[in-house]
Order: sequence, then C-alpha cells, then structure tokens
Amino acid sequence: MASVELNSITKTFGAVEVIRGLNLKVEDGSFCALLGPSGCGKSTLLRMIAGLETVTDGSVQIGGTDVTYEVPAKRRVAMVFQNYALYPHLTVAQNICFSLSLAGVSKASQKEQGDRVAKLLQLEDLMGRRPAELSGGQRQRVAIGRALVRNPEVFLFDEPLSNLDALLRVQMRLELAKLHNELKTTMIYVTHDQVEAMTLADKIVVLDKGRISQSGTPLELYNAPANRFVAGFIGSPAMNFLDGSADADAGGAALTVTLAGNRPVTLPRRAAAAFAAGGKVQIGIRPEHVQLCDPSDSAATLQGKTTVVEQLGNTTFVYVDTASGQMIVEAEGGRQIAPGTAVGLRIDGARVHLFDATGAAWPALG
Amino acid sequence: MTAAAFPRNPAARRWNIGSILLMVLTLICAAIWFFPIYWALLTSIRTDDEAVRAGFSLWTSHPTLGGYLYVIQHSNIARWYLNSTITSVAITVLVVFMAACCGYAISQLRFPGRTLLWWVILASFMVPVQALIVNHFIIIAKVNLLNTYPGIILPMLLSPVTVIVYKQFFDGLPREFREAAVMDGATELQLLFRVFIPMNWGVTTALAIITFIGAWNSFLWPFLATKTEDMMTVTVGITEVQDAFGVAYARVLAGAVMAGLPVALAYLLFQRKVTQAITLSAGIKG
Repeated sequence: MASVELNSITKTFGAVEVIRGLNLKVEDGSFCALLGPSGCGKSTLLRMIAGLETVTDGSVQIGGTDVTYEVPAKRRVAMVFQNYALYPHLTVAQNICFSLSLAGVSKASQKEQGDRVAKLLQLEDLMGRRPAELSGGQRQRVAIGRALVRNPEVFLFDEPLSNLDALLRVQMRLELAKLHNELKTTMIYVTHDQVEAMTLADKIVVLDKGRISQSGTPLELYNAPANRFVAGFIGSPAMNFLDGSADADAGGAALTVTLAGNRPVTLPRRAAAAFAAGGKVQIGIRPEHVQLCDPSDSAATLQGKTTVVEQLGNTTFVYVDTASGQMIVEAEGGRQIAPGTAVGLRIDGARVHLFDATGAAWPALG
Repeated sequence: MTAAAFPRNPAARRWNIGSILLMVLTLICAAIWFFPIYWALLTSIRTDDEAVRAGFSLWTSHPTLGGYLYVIQHSNIARWYLNSTITSVAITVLVVFMAACCGYAISQLRFPGRTLLWWVILASFMVPVQALIVNHFIIIAKVNLLNTYPGIILPMLLSPVTVIVYKQFFDGLPREFREAAVMDGATELQLLFRVFIPMNWGVTTALAIITFIGAWNSFLWPFLATKTEDMMTVTVGITEVQDAFGVAYARVLAGAVMAGLPVALAYLLFQRKVTQAITLSAGIKG
C-alpha cells in the first residue's frame, strides 16, 4: 500500500494545457474518485500517475518515491481500463497471469497466483474461457484480476463500469467496494458518474478544466459545495439554480435574496459585505429541499406549473416552470400530480446555497 | 415453401433474367480463364505426337503420364523443388517477420524520421521491381552472391504492401491493449510477438500464404540470379526442360503443371486466407 502525491502537475498537449499546476495527495489505503465532465483532464491525470503519459511539469510520488520519470511497470501500480483490454487470443487464466508470464515466473507459481485471484473474484469456473465467451461483468472481473495478480500498491481504474448496463454497474460497484474493504489498497478511480464516485469513494476530487474545483468526502461535497460547478455536478437530479439580487447585509442575522418576480428568500447570514445592495447572485437549492404546496399558500416562495412528472416508485421528480426558471422538486413516492397543475414551491432558506457572480459559494455563518 | 409464397411480378422477373444473364457471362469468363489451365493439363497427358497433331480436340483418347515420368527421370526437378522450397520458405518467414517489425515500429513507436520512413515505404510502391532489377543484379554480383540462396532471397525481401497491411492493422488496435501490456512490464519485442502478432494472426497467415505463392511463382529475379542448374528454382528450371526437349509440348507442360502444383495445392487448402490477403493488398493498392 502507498500514498500518491501529485505536486504542481502540469500537462500540455501542444499549446493546450489540460492540467494546470495541480496538487493532490491520496492517502494510503483510501479510495479516491477523480470526478468531472468529459475533457476535464481526469483520465490524463490518471494516466500520468500510471506513467502512460509524460508529465510536462511537476512530480509524481508513489509511496514517498518520486516516480515522475519511472516506467509504468516499475511504479507498483496496476490499471483497469474502460474497455477491459483483455487479450482475445488468451484464456482468462492466461490473461490474469500475463504479467507474471512476461516476468518469467514459473508455470506453477503462475497457476498458484492465478487461482488465488480467481477465487477472490469468483472466476474459478471461467479460467479456460476466452474473453469473447464472457459477459461484460465477467470481463470486468477478469480485468480486475489481471491488475490484482500483480499485488500493486495502487490500483488505478479508468471508468471501469461505463461499458456495463445499469444493473450490472450497481452489482460491480458493490463488488469493488467489497474488494477495497478486503484489500485496503489505495485506489484511484476515474469516473464522470457522480453516483459511482459518491458510493465508492471516501475522497472525491472534482476536476474542472484541468484544475481541482473541490476535494473532500462525498458528504462534504454534497452539503457544502465550494462553488456553483461542484454544486451542479454533485447530486442527481442536479441542484436548482435561481438568479436573484442580494440585499445589503446591514449586520443583521439574515440575508435576503430577491428572485425574479420580486420573490424574497431569507437566508442565514453570510460572511463579509461581499454582496452589495442589488448585487447579482445565484441561489442553489437541491430538489429534495423544495416542497410542493398549494399555490395560494402564504409560505410559498414561488408559484409555477408542473410540466413533467417522473414517478420512480420510491420518489417522484416534478418539473415546475416558474417565473425564475425551471425547478426540479423531489416529492414523496406515489405522489399523484398531473402535468399542467398550478403549484406553489416552499424553499427552506436554511438549505439554500448562495453563489456570487464568480460562482464561488458563500456558506452560512455559524 | 410454395409457389404462392413468391408472387410473380415483372420486376422480379426482370431481375431473374438479369441474374441469369450475369451467371452465363460469369461462366463464360470462368471458362475463358480456365481454358489455358485445362489445355496445359490436357497436353501434359497427351503423347508428343498427339500434342502437335493438326485439328482440335478437347480430350485425349490415349491419356499418358509419360510427360511427367520423363520430366521426373530426365531433369533436375527434385533439386529445383528443393531450391524453390528453401527460397520461398525463407522469403516468406523473413518478409513476414520484417514487415511485422517495420509495421509495428511505424504504427506504435515514436522516433525521429518515422514519418519520412513511412513516406519512403509508400513511395517505394510506385517503383516496379523491373525498374530495380538491374541495380539488384549489380549489387548482388558485387557482393558475390549470384547463384547462391542469399542472392536469390535478399532482393525479394522488399515488400512494402506487407508493411502497409501490418501498419494498418496495428493502427486499428485500441491503444489500451498496448498500454495494458506496458503496465504489465512488456518490452517492445514482447508486445509485438505476444500481443500484436497473435491478435492479428489471421492477417499474418494470409500474408504468409500470399508471400509464399508470390515467391514460388517468381521468375524474373531467380532467372537472373542463378547460373547453374543446381541452383535454379522450379519456375526457372522448367525453361531448361524446354531447352532440353525442344518442342516436346507434353513434357514442357508436364513440367509446368508440376511447377504450379504446390501453389495450386496451397491455394486449395488456404483458399479463404488467400482471398483475404488479396483483398487486403488490393485495398492498399486501390
């Protein structure tokens, strides 16, 4: 096991800078997810840790050793690829033991280590098959097995579940979590799926345009996003954002934001006099923190009309058109509401996130 | 199925007539192509008298293997077979090996001059072998390799098509295969021989077969490079049969049939692979 440290890492492709002076420490034995939209540099970052991409500037340390210029095979890391990269001409056993075979390990030792991995991943019955004869989930397990057999100090996963169907993805997610609990090896996992990141990782690093937008535990990112990008990226369905203007904080206990249509929302007091009177701000509120009510309800912050109702059984997502824009509301499962119904929306000010014009979050004081 | 299942309509009938005409045309073309082969086979089992007799007959009333027996007994054909086998196998192995290495290097490695090398290989396509043959002869003569196996083999190792086919196939492999092996500690040679070639085994087989057939059938260079009968390949050797026996057509064509037999057998055995290889190289040449 080993920690991974990236110091002032920069990566350019020609004139394009994809990673910009990035610093990151992944603790020994932790499960870290690199999360971000396509093109944010998360795979490039993972490939630099693996040694598959050169580092333009900065250094990579694994287990305290500088491996910036070390070849991939000597970094004591193993990688699981998105498309599995299983050799079609080899059997499962040969695929798993490929690295051992390259290293000249004896056949008996290869078999012993291959069997150990097969047992761990429940692949014993598949060892004689070729990849074409396996299902997606089985192929993924073989790919993990191939990484596992090398006893690496760090596992790198590059969107390993994205080729699987939804049901299998949930199952494999569970298996990966169990594997991490069992091995306690450092794992770095690249994904654009925030659900995977939230459920698997103990640390999430959100990347945006080659920079770390925020890093922290899943709940830290969910409850206290550092900026609008993270707030919008974490959570499904995404957070609702509404434009408004802040009233100057006169030193009182609350801050009032006036939304379009002169609708005021009172929030707990924020730091500093960052919000000049009439300054443009955005408030963010998660779908589960908005409540549907009667449009004539005096506590309703906004009124609107439902456009789409998605019933998932355990929960209901209601899309509502308001004067401030479209809102998504999470209601209780089985809630019957027709599209086109006039509704009121109650917003709990204590749950509202506030972002200034630059997108930075201003958390409530105290 | 019943006739009612196929309702008659004019369009279907026209298509049927068209297909029948096409089939007839194809059969005529096949007959035109096959006739010389048939004629050679027929003549090879005729007597010398019948072979030069006036008139036209599509069969022989007295088939004989005399021509074959004569060639076997009175020529060096066993030696020529051996020479052809040695040179063709060597050319096949070396061409496939070198083309795979070259294709791999151009496709997968980054080194100074890589693009230039690729353009040189592409450009070498445009130069016909006949234009180089005098140079080949002078070089091989200067290094005293005329009338030797290396002398026959070396100039025939130039095969840009094979390099291009390999490069294209290696380019088409997802990069993760290479990267996974690199992570596992594979060297470039291990990558080539344990990942890339086995993953393209079908291409290698097809290219090997077509290279073998080409090497076996080659005439011009072995004809120039060999001086003595004991170094001749079978395609060159059968010209000696003609010289020795004058206009003994039955014997000459028996020799020709025997020369072409291994290739015909190879084609019959590996028909699909040969077609695949021709398609691959035709696609490049296209």
